[in-house]
Amino acid sequence: MKSVIKGGDAFAFVEIELEKDEAVIAESDAMSSMAADLDVQARLNGGFFAAILRRFLVGETLFVNYFSNNTVGTKRLTLVQATPGSVRCLELKRETFYLQPGAFLACTEGVTVGVKFAGFVSWIAREGLFKTVVSGTGKVWYGAYGALLERDLDGETIVDTSHLVAYSPGISLKLQLAGGIFSSFFGGEGLVTRVTGKGKIVIQTRSLSGLVSWLNPKLP
Amino acid sequence: MEYKVQVTRLADGHAEAQVQTAFAQLFRLDTDKAAKALSRLPLVIKEKLTAEQAAKYRDRLQAIGLVAEIHPMLVVAPVPSAPPPPPHEVQSATAPGLQLEPIAAPIAKEAVPEVASRPAMRSPGMAFKIEGRPDFAFLTVTIPANETLKVEASAMATMDSHMTMTTKMRGGLGRLLTGESIFVNEFTAQEAPGDIGIAPAAPGDLAHVYLNGDVIYLQNAAFVACAGDVNLETKWQGLVKGFFSGESLFLIRASGQGDLWFNSYGGIIELDLDGDYVVDTGNIVAFTEGLEYRMSKVGGYKSLFFSGEGLVCRFSGKGKVWIQTRAVEAFASWAHQFRPAKGKG
Repeated sequence: MKSVIKGGDAFAFVEIELEKDEAVIAESDAMSSMAADLDVQARLNGGFFAAILRRFLVGETLFVNYFSNNTVGTKRLTLVQATPGSVRCLELKRETFYLQPGAFLACTEGVTVGVKFAGFVSWIAREGLFKTVVSGTGKVWYGAYGALLERDLDGETIVDTSHLVAYSPGISLKLQLAGGIFSSFFGGEGLVTRVTGKGKIVIQTRSLSGLVSWLNPKLP
Repeated sequence: MEYKVQVTRLADGHAEAQVQTAFAQLFRLDTDKAAKALSRLPLVIKEKLTAEQAAKYRDRLQAIGLVAEIHPMLVVAPVPSAPPPPPHEVQSATAPGLQLEPIAAPIAKEAVPEVASRPAMRSPGMAFKIEGRPDFAFLTVTIPANETLKVEASAMATMDSHMTMTTKMRGGLGRLLTGESIFVNEFTAQEAPGDIGIAPAAPGDLAHVYLNGDVIYLQNAAFVACAGDVNLETKWQGLVKGFFSGESLFLIRASGQGDLWFNSYGGIIELDLDGDYVVDTGNIVAFTEGLEYRMSKVGGYKSLFFSGEGLVCRFSGKGKVWIQTRAVEAFASWAHQFRPAKGKG
């Protein structure tokens, strides 16, 4: 399987070439174009209750689409996300990674997608009360609004709420005020997340709340 | 794979003398040597770097106003199983394949300081890099120990945990009218240098200017960050200019000495003006002091109402103007038609 992410940071999409007998599982609205002879099967997102949990807890779709190539040739599939922004590919080798709700786009067959309680800290930090857990071996595509930057963390750093897109299991989140009481309320930063541990974090370079606060005063 | 870093030219908008001084400080050369080195562009700064090291060199060079490029080196990797290199490649390689100790380019030999000491170095301005260009540009600034960076309210996205934040009022109550925050946050790196990542609100690009006693006027929403010593004032544009410009009634006047970063909606274009130039009011990001500007019609009264251009800003004089490739009003009115009649607002 070959896959390329194209379209720059603003309007990224994934182009996948499926070989014979290969398959990709994608969110139900992710497919934008595909070879006509690929087989598509809508499946519940991992069993009835699991699917409902995912729908309501991390905002994933109730159904996922299972694209498989049962022909002999190489077939193309392109996947897109709803929001303008970047898409990244994660290669898992018997590893686990956590994604912010809504970030998951697609994965290959060896990957298990689950839901995990992320904690109240994550919820107040606007990263969701639950998080998507991807584990296993294979590729995972995920995306968010803005460009995505990967940072290696060893120690601690501070990330503004709603900028954290993904992180590895060795990382824990704690909430704190951005500054003093006055600064935190008038400086527009409010609460921030103290991220500690060793591993990888992925941050988005724009936030939806930033877009809204920029655009709203200009709307007629 | 190994890379070399090559300076190709001066970045637009940087004075040659200033860049030479910065270059001299960066590589601990005297100014004459630096000037000589920079007169022979393109100039290879350092060879045999990893991709990451090369990117660091490039960022440092870009920060002082030099355009640098990273080229893969034609050296064949010293792997025993590698096929023997074709003859022409051996000639172009600066060192035989098995020599692992990097050989520095002549100028870099005694000059380039260790990468680890970078944050403490004082070239003019702070070390910074911009990622995610041009769509969602993201600024990371390394603040030297005990120095301060002023940042637009709610733009901080990441920072080192020893950074402290205080909030200051900026520009008086007039800014309340414009929908902008009247506060600016000051981030101080206590005791040790620290990184801060800044995400502007609007989708688009970022630009950097090192103020050396110059004055730059920014459109109200364009301010992102500046060094602690740069002064920010809010300037009333005058009712006619402000009202008809479609932007806000205020401009931000940035003056003093230090770095200044501003952002745009869409891409950003830097123009050197000498003479008259017309810019649509919604596309102005910033301009240097000394440029005169006034509102005018594009053509006659017919075109005022029917050309779709309305009033434009006519600049005259000598200076620089930065324009953005999209205007927020146009986006707002385009997006508005798709909003539900009773949206959440």
